[in-house]
Order: sequence, then C-alpha cells, then structure tokens
Amino acid sequence: MHMDLLDATRRHFLRNCSLGLAGMFVAEAATENPLAPKKPPLPAKAKSVIYLHMAGSPSQLDLFDYKPELVKYNGQPCPQHLLEGKRFAFIKGVPNMLGTPFQFKQHGQSGGWVSELLPHTAGVVDDLCVIRSMTTDQFNHAPAQLFLHTGNPRFGAAAMGSWATYGLGSENQDLPGFVVLVGGGNNPDAGKSLWGSGFLPSVYQGVQCRTQGDPVLYLSDPEGMTRSLRRKTLDAARDLNQIQNQESGDPETLARIAQYELAYRMQVSVPEVMDISKEPAATHQMYGSEPGAPPNSQASFANNCLLARRLVEKGVRFVQLFQWGWDHHGVSRREDIRYDLPVRTRNIDQPIAALIRDLKQRGLLEQTLVVWGGEFGRTPMRENRGGSYGSFVGRDHHPYGFTIWMAGGGVKPGLNYGSTDDIGYYAAENKVTVRDLQATVLHQLGLDPFRFSYPYQGLNQRLIGPTAEGRVLKDVLA
Amino acid sequence: MAALALAAPGLMAAEVDVDYQRDIRPVLAKKCFACHGPDEHARQMNLRLDTHAGATGAGGGYKGIVPGDSAASRVVARITDERRPMPPTGPGLTPGEVALIRKWIDAGAKYTAHWSFQKPVRPEVPMSAEAGGNEIDTFVRARLRQESLAASPEADAATLARRAALDLTGLPPEPAALKQYLGDPSPAGYERFVDQLLASPAYGERWARVWLDLARYADTQGYEKDNKRTIWPYRDWVIRALNDNMPFDRFTIEQLAGDLLPGAGESQLIATGFHRNTMTNTEGGTDDEEFRDAAVKDRVAVTGQVWMGLTIGCAQCHTHKYDPISHEEFYRFYSYFNQTADHDQPNDAPVLKLAGDTSTLILRELAGDKRRVTRIHQRGNFLDPGQEVSPGVPAAFHALPKGAPANRLGLAQWLVSKENPLTARVMVNRLWARLFGTGLVETEEDFGTQGAAPTHPQLLDWLAVEFMDRGWDVKAILKTMVMSATYRQSSAADAGLLEKDPRNRLLARGPRVRLDAEMVRDQALAVSGLLSKKMYGAPVMPWQPEGIWLVVYSGDKWETSEGEDRYRRGLYTFLRRSSPYPSMITYDAPTGEVCTIRRIRTNTPLQALASLNDPVSMEAAQRLARWAIEDIKGNEKSRIEAMFRRVLVRDPVKAETSRILSLYRDAAKELKSSGDAPGKLLHYDQTLYTGDREVLLVADARTAAREWRFMANDDGTAPGADWFQPGFDASQWRTGKGQFAWYKKPPEDSKIATEWHTSNIWLRIEFDVPEGSLEDVQLHVRTAGMFESYVNGVRAAQSPIDRGSYYEYLISDEAAATLKPGKNVLAIHATHIREKDSGQVIDASLRALRPMQFDKRKVDAKRAAWVVVANTLLNLDETLSRR
Repeated sequence: MHMDLLDATRRHFLRNCSLGLAGMFVAEAATENPLAPKKPPLPAKAKSVIYLHMAGSPSQLDLFDYKPELVKYNGQPCPQHLLEGKRFAFIKGVPNMLGTPFQFKQHGQSGGWVSELLPHTAGVVDDLCVIRSMTTDQFNHAPAQLFLHTGNPRFGAAAMGSWATYGLGSENQDLPGFVVLVGGGNNPDAGKSLWGSGFLPSVYQGVQCRTQGDPVLYLSDPEGMTRSLRRKTLDAARDLNQIQNQESGDPETLARIAQYELAYRMQVSVPEVMDISKEPAATHQMYGSEPGAPPNSQASFANNCLLARRLVEKGVRFVQLFQWGWDHHGVSRREDIRYDLPVRTRNIDQPIAALIRDLKQRGLLEQTLVVWGGEFGRTPMRENRGGSYGSFVGRDHHPYGFTIWMAGGGVKPGLNYGSTDDIGYYAAENKVTVRDLQATVLHQLGLDPFRFSYPYQGLNQRLIGPTAEGRVLKDVLA
Repeated sequence: MAALALAAPGLMAAEVDVDYQRDIRPVLAKKCFACHGPDEHARQMNLRLDTHAGATGAGGGYKGIVPGDSAASRVVARITDERRPMPPTGPGLTPGEVALIRKWIDAGAKYTAHWSFQKPVRPEVPMSAEAGGNEIDTFVRARLRQESLAASPEADAATLARRAALDLTGLPPEPAALKQYLGDPSPAGYERFVDQLLASPAYGERWARVWLDLARYADTQGYEKDNKRTIWPYRDWVIRALNDNMPFDRFTIEQLAGDLLPGAGESQLIATGFHRNTMTNTEGGTDDEEFRDAAVKDRVAVTGQVWMGLTIGCAQCHTHKYDPISHEEFYRFYSYFNQTADHDQPNDAPVLKLAGDTSTLILRELAGDKRRVTRIHQRGNFLDPGQEVSPGVPAAFHALPKGAPANRLGLAQWLVSKENPLTARVMVNRLWARLFGTGLVETEEDFGTQGAAPTHPQLLDWLAVEFMDRGWDVKAILKTMVMSATYRQSSAADAGLLEKDPRNRLLARGPRVRLDAEMVRDQALAVSGLLSKKMYGAPVMPWQPEGIWLVVYSGDKWETSEGEDRYRRGLYTFLRRSSPYPSMITYDAPTGEVCTIRRIRTNTPLQALASLNDPVSMEAAQRLARWAIEDIKGNEKSRIEAMFRRVLVRDPVKAETSRILSLYRDAAKELKSSGDAPGKLLHYDQTLYTGDREVLLVADARTAAREWRFMANDDGTAPGADWFQPGFDASQWRTGKGQFAWYKKPPEDSKIATEWHTSNIWLRIEFDVPEGSLEDVQLHVRTAGMFESYVNGVRAAQSPIDRGSYYEYLISDEAAATLKPGKNVLAIHATHIREKDSGQVIDASLRALRPMQFDKRKVDAKRAAWVVVANTLLNLDETLSRR
C-alpha cells in the first residue's frame, strides 16, 4: 500500500484503527484534484509513456525476428511435437511451415535484424531496445489485449494508463492525463475496456481524443452557443452555485465549479493540441502527416504519432495509440501477409521513425518511454483454416514468442534482447512475460509495481496481478 | 484522514474490550497460523491456535492457552522468550501485540465469529423522547448523543418532495402530486405523497436500474464481437416484479432457480435471465468450455456478492485468505451452477420463445444423464481438475433448509432462509445506500472480515430483522426509511459539522449526493416535457455522437430511434458492453461487463462537457425555453421563476432571480449581434434530426436503385488514367443497377441486381443537383472490401476496411465544393474483395442536407436567450444533485 498516494488523493483511505483492525474505506468527498501531479515514490526515469499498440498483432517473423531456418523449411509439414497439447485459434491438423517472403538485413551499430518492410524503423534501430523473446498467456484478441493493458484477461480491471494517472496525476491540468488515439478505422477488439479505469475511480479512465468530429466527446458548444455566451452561462452557474453553497456547505459544489472551469479551458486546450495544421512543413514531411486527414486514411497513423509527441510535450502522462488491422490470417487478400502486411507497415514505418527522431531532437525521448507491439505474435506455420490451403497466405495467433520494442524512458538504446528458437516458435533466451513488461513500465515511471496497489474486493489489486509474478527487466535498463 | 480519525473512536465506542476478530485474529493469522493453523499437514507440536478447542487443548492437542490466565499460558511464554521467541522466522510480535494477546487471554480468550456471520437478532429500540420519528431515528439519535451532535431540522416540503421523488422513482415529482403535497405538508400529507411515489410505475424503473447493475445487464454478448442479444424481457421482468412488490425471497428464488420451481411458467423462466447476463465469447477458435467455465465462476461470485456481500470469487484459485470459504467450498457452490444447458454458444442457447419474434435467454437444468461432474480446479484453472465435489454451502454458515433440493432451488432457499445471517443485512444496506448515498456498511460489496464495520450495527440489524419479519417487503422497508426523521432532515451543513463528519456517516443531516447517470438524463427530459412514459420493450437508440460504434467484423449500427423512443428513460437505452452510451459512462454508469455492487461517483470535467453540450441536455433546454416563452404569461421575472420551479422544485431566492435576470439580459444583448446564433439555438433539434432536410442525390438499392456504368476485372488495371474525371467517356462501359454483388449464401437483406465477382470494379454515375445550397454531403456505402470515391474528379471518401452494412462517410470539403446545380459525376473504385467462399458487394448513395429553415418571425435574440438560461439551470450543481 502506497500511503502518500492515498493521502494525496484523499479518495481512498486505509483506515487503521488504533486498536488494530484494518479496514478499507472508499471515500467519496473529492475536494482535492485527484489528477494533481504527485511525486513518484521511486526515482523515475520516464515522465510519460507513448504505447503504440498494433491491434490484431503483426507478424514478428516478417518484421523483426529473422529465421533463415524457417525459410528453409518453408512448405514442409510442421513437426508433431510443436502441435501436441497446443490450442490454436484456427489452425487444424498439421499445417505447413511458413518462411518469410521478405528480405531481412542487419542495421545500425547494434546490428538489429529488420525486414525490408520497415526501412525507416531500421534507420532508428540504434535507439530501440528490441525484445524478441516476448510471451503471453492468451491467444485470443480481446483477452490478450485486456491482459496486456489491464493485467487481467477478463473485463473489469484498470488500464495501464489509469494506473499511471492514479499514481502520478497529470502534469497538465488543462488536458486529460490519459489520452487514447484510435486509428485504422476500427476500435481494438476488446473495445473501450482497454482504456477503462475498471475498479479505479472513473476520473482515471482514458479519454479518447478523436481526429474527426469533436476531439473529445461533447467538447464543442452547440451551434449558436458562442464562446462568450458559454462564458456567461458558466459565470452565472458559478454565482448561483455559490449562493447555494452558502446554505448547503457541500464541498462537492465547489469541486463542480472547478470542473466546469476545467471543461471550459479544455474546450480551448484540446482542439489546440489536436490541431496539427500549424506544425511546420518539415515536420509533416518527416512524419508523413496530413492535417485534416480522415481517421481511416493512410495518414491517420502519422497524424496520431505527431499528436502523441504534442501531447507528451504538453505534459500528458500516458498516450495510448491503437492501430487496427494486423490480424493477417490469410483468409482473404485483405488478410494476406504478402499483400496487406506491406500496406500496414507503410502506414506506420515512417511515422514511428519520425516520432523517435522528433522526441530525441526535442530532448523528450529520455523522459518518454515508447513501447511498440501487438497483443501476441503469429505462428511460424501457415494458417490452414478449415484444414486446407486456399490462395492466400497468413499466420495464426501465437503466444509463445514474439517481438516488441521499447525506446527512451531509461531503456538501453540499441539493445537486442532475448531470442526465439531457430524456427521462431518458442522464446528461447531471456524470456519476457506480459507481467515483466508491466512491471518495467511502472518501474520506469517511478512506481513500485509490487507495492503500488488499490484495495478492491478484499484484495490489494495490482497491475501485475494478485500474485506479483512479474519482475522488472533490469537487463534492458540503461 | 483527520476526519475519519475523529470519527473512528466513536465508531468503536461500544467495543473498547479486546475483540478476537478485530484485534487478535489478524496477528495470529500473520505470525502463527502457518504452523499452528487450519492446515493439518503443516501443523507443529499438535498446537492449533485458530480455534478455542485447539488452543486450549480441549481437542486433545497441546495446551497453549489457559483462558483467564496469561501467565500460565505457554503461548505467552513462547512469544516472549528472550532467547528463541516464537515465531522462529520472520518478524516477531511487537510489544503492543503481546500486550493485546495477554489482555485477551486474561479476559477469557473468547473466540468470536465475525459480526456479520452471526444471525441478526432484533435489538432493543433505544428509548427516545423526540417525536415525529420512527425506530430508525432512535438508533441514529442515540449515536448522535454519544458524539454530542444534534439532528438537523426537517427539510422544507419542496426539497423533501424532490428528494423523495428522485430517490423512489428516479424522476422529479409529478406536478399534480407535488401540488397536493405542498398544499398539505403535514406528516400525513408526506406519507400520502410517499405512497403515491411507491405506487408509481416509475418506481419499478428506478429500482430496476439498481438491480440491473448487479445483474450485469447489457444488450450484447460481450468480448470481442460483442454481438446483440435479446434479454430485455428479463429487464422488463425486474421492473414488473418491483412494481408488484414481489417479496424479496420470491424475487431471489425466481431469478436463481425459476426454472426449477414446480409448474414454472413463462415469467419464472424469464426471471432466470439474471444469470444469463454473463458474457458469451464468439471469437474464432475460442474454447467454449473455457468461457462456459468463466460464466459459471462469474455466477458463483455474483451470487455471493449480491446476496451475501461475500467475496466468494476469491476462493476460486485458493482458500479465501480472510473469510471462511475454502477452495473446495467454492467448487461445491460452483457445482450448483454447473448443471445448466448453456455453453457459450453464439446463439446464446437455451432461449425461451415469447410472443412475436422475441426469444430471451434463460437457464435450463441439464437432464439427469447429461449432468456434469464437478471437480476442484487447481489454482482456478479449468484445465487442471482435482478431486470431485458435490454441491454444498460453506460450513461456516447455517445448514441448508430441511428438505431443500440439492440444486439451485435449494441454494436459493438457503440464501433467503431466515437463518442466513447476511442476505437481509446486505439488501437493507443496499437500499439504505441508494437513499443516503453511503451504506451503513460502506463496503456494500464486502461484509466479510476485510469489509468496513457498520456505523450503526444495531440499526442495521433492526432493519434486517424488520425486513424479514415483514415478509421481505421491499416497499415497506423503503417506506420506513423515507418516513424516518433522519431521512427527512435538511442536508445543509455548517462548518463545524462538516469538519466533524464530512461524509455524513453519523447522519446528523440529510443526504446530498449527485444524481445517477440515468437520473441526470431522465430529469432533463422530464422537466422540459420531452420524457416519454412508454415502458418496456426492446432497447432504444437515442441520439449519440457519430463514430462511437466502430465494431470489428459486424454491420451493427447505431440507428437513431424515431419519435418518442428518442426520449425514453435511460434504462431503456441500448447498452453495448464494448461501446456503452457515452454520456452514461461519463456519469459513472456501469458497462455491464461485470457485476457492479455500487457505483463510485466521480466529479470530472467530462461530466461538465456532457451536461453542457450533450444533445439531450440541449434539446431539453430548447424545449424548456419554448415552454417558458409560450406558456408563461407575465414579465421576465415570472418566466424565470417558472423555469426555476420546473427544474429545481422550489422558488428561487431574490439573489438567484436577479442573477438569472442579468444572465438573460446579457445573453439577449449578445445574441442580437450574433448572426444566425438565435435561430440555431431555438431550432437546436433540427441540427440533430435531419430527415426532413435530406436531399437524395443518388439513391441506392435500399430505396430505388439507379443505373450505373461499370467495368470489372481481376488484374486491377484501371480503365484509363482519368476514369474518375467528369469528362471521361464511359459509353463503352456496361450498365447495371446496385447492388453489385456475388455471394455463396446471400445475406437476408441483400438486394443483388448485377452480378459482380471479380477483384476490382469501377463505377460511374451522373446525377442532378438541384438549385439552392446544400451542406453535410454524405456518401453511404455498402461494401465487403475497400473503396475509393470521387465527386466531379475530386477525391471524396475512402475506406481501407470491411464494413458489413451501409456505412456513412462525410465526403471531403474539396469534393463537396465541386457540387453545382445541373449535371455532376460520382465515381467509385472498389477492391480488396473477400475470399471466394463468402461473398462481395458494392452499392452506394449520395445525400446532402438543405440548410436549416427558420420561421423568421419567431427568431429573435430575446427568445433565444431563454435557451441560454435553460441550459444554465440544467447545469447547476443543485440540479445535478438531490439534496
């Protein structure tokens, strides 16, 4: 239990009666701002996090995890021992092995392998810490995404960004502390629960900022309600609330006045930070961003990356990007590794490299932890839905070994960490779990992943789960 | 912290002695039980300290404790041994802990059960001289006297009317009933008013919403696909049962085991929908048994929490760390729920066919030969089964009632047995919390040893026993609560009281809490006259912002309801678990993914934005203003007073009237020079519901398919580089009507007119644009692949992903700007088709809106200023609270 934190929010109390009974109280009187910045209990390496989640899960074997052995076995039946006791989402019977159809090369001082699909990312590989030995417990999208972001494969737990803002507040009181940007035309599979606050108070839930329509729901005043009329209504409401408060004395009323004022400021500050049109042309060129591009267009991910930089620059604690469309099963052209994976990587490659460079040149990278990855990996076998092969090529869900990378925020740059076996099936060296990743993210923010908890349903709930299986990945820390 | 510390000695005032549960057990559990506790395999020296018999050697073991004599107790000698004190490893006992243990042994070493695990007995009602109250007040006042606090005076009648109406019906008071009560504000007049509220159909809707939070009710299946499901007949069952005041024991039995009742009818079967609100995972490749197991575990946990306030779900992986529920007992409880026929199927079977086309989800017990064997899941993992278990209830609680069958029906009877120490306490505490803002036990979800202690233990027990003795009569117990002087107190608090008891746990004043999400909506609709009183039926879709539902692999769309269905009460709003109605979750309504025992109220800027700018709130403001303009005769002041009374159910004080008057005048002055702003404010609804302003430029197959020119091929070569330009000659292309499609098995709503089965298609159509200005030009496209589109040669809209139904795309400003009266051209290229074994389709229409039309005579700045006033009134803290 982290006492300063609880004291600071005054929302939750550990009531420890002098006679020894420990009972948890959840209080409601919110007279202090729960999002006020709080000092982290441990030395923090990162002030903010940008989490780039590729919803659907990209193929590590075609992007980062080069397996010449697998190419050699391409088209041959999968050995039986890799199938026994395994559950797959769609693979039936004995599938064939699938080597990557793409070319790989080593890049930079670090010599990291990157495929031809990510030429720009290859250019910043010396800034990345690439973990090729990632694993998870879940092999379906929604549970795996929930497990990664909330620590629980079922619904109802709190998102990583909610934990971060609960523990640390936000540096900018005119913007939400936990911002979510969704691209690729669809919400991620597990929906809005991925940025829900679960059992934490809803003030910590992620706020989805949209690039079309109101950037935050209900942000714009209705047609005809001019800015100065809005000011007049708020002034009148404040005065009327104060008249009431003289009688009722309820501090909640004063808190409401403050929240209406914050809402009024957000009406300016959010559109301002979301407006990328005033960025210099060189910046747009670097990212490939296009002001005003619709949310399902090519440039939307570039726009979101640029926004992510603008948001952390303004002090937003946690920026969560979801980019949909990586579920390449090979049951249609749209899900074909050969045709569609290049389309998806083209959307993200240049913007991601630009984000890393941009953060670096602004001196923001050292205090911003950037994480990239999917919810699991993809099989070294070619998927055979229904037990046979058609004309398209794809891979099934694979939890036993995949690739993520981190950058900035006190993580070793240019590190190639962990590996899978020769055909990329199992994490072989320095296996990393979802719990490890979660523990490391919290640790870099200056929170103790093992002690940082919230009392709910008789347990001290933690992001890393009730049994605290995770460990901080000391090897990857600078 | 300071405030609670002040309150804490008071809370403990009646319990100054050392208490085993509170003071001793936590110490022993941490430092002794590992070797001297329940686990016989780990036990040392044949000494067991978690039971009286074990500790005193009465059971034949080592005699560690001599009750009444700490000096003679070996345990004390061992924990204070200077050379090798117990425990042998880890931190030892502190001097304070040793002193407590000594004191406890000297007082007789009494092992007591946790308070809530002992059956409540009707406490003696403390004598109280004060008149005008009931039994509740005698308990509350006895406590206040201990704290040297006085109760607050009664709130005025208008305040009380609004408070009781919102609490009991979720709506502000009906004008007629309010008038009658204000005409006779005597105790008898108040009682009559309360009786009317309890008899109102709105009562069932309000309290159904409370129950639906527990039932994790939603209109979709959850998980990735989160498809629609029909279970609203269960929601309607709850409303009816509450309005009929079905006794809570029957209410319980029908929901948990209605299907097992002799002669169960349709209504009893629908009631079992309670536990069919668990989620169904239809994502590809999921193991049905895994998610069936997850649903059963959820049913066990929810049953424990809802009826007994027990966190029984904690025991699914290991024996409960704090409460007397072993790992095995969890699975004995589980086995009651493990015999139903549902098993995570996409069609949600079994369902019950009802009149019309409706089927609703129900529980069905498996027949004898199909019954499942229940085993312990080691570490909670269903793939790792252990020993077989039979159904049963935790041994620390009362036995099953005589003759109770060994199935869900027997379990339900056990829950509502008068021997059950928790069910009645948990339920009256829940009702109390909904009225007073906080329960007598604050942790409504946890009455176990880790939960909070009750602030008024005797009052809680009195209410619980009263509830049972009056035949589990919910309306009667609610009436007792709202008739109490405690409930009727003014909620005003001076600085002294606020400092001493900021959270009103001692109840020296009336409740003042923010309204629930549904009430915020319903109240705005009610006071403006928009609210529909229509009850029951399929969920509705009131206006919600664009782009909220972006659902993977599904054509499900938010189709804004027509007519009065736009203005139904919040509990009828369609609830998609993965995309709930945004203004509701902003105000802390649950998503239905898990059981919500209590909503934690927050106060955020997003709530402010929702109430200021949400169309519901603005439509209500528009309607309220119109009412003030058209129906209230007299000067500005009388309009202000009338509006104020409508919203807040009281007269404004002078300072309030004059502040609103100055807002009105400022707004009117400003609007005079604000162009078309007055017209837009007064016709706000026209910005939302645009049907009668719509101009169809190109129709699609849903209305009257037009003829297109088209070219199709498999190699993706465009039929000319300028195929989308207005001047392109497409006379060599073929002609055909939409939908262009091919399916292996056509979907029910398909309207194929032209066969198309290649990977690419190019389409062109000429269309006429009428004179006059147009805005909001939208392309509606149905496709199973990707498309790009051009208007007059300018890129208009595109989509890189599959959509399962017609979907609206706002076209680019550049393309919209090219529209001109006379001939125009729309061109579409569709590609990236699905595989050959399902199908493909393309069809499109183009629509635009005429600008809003105002009746110029009715549009003026002064009228519009009333909308601004109404919007302000609907956003006052007092409006959003019940006080």
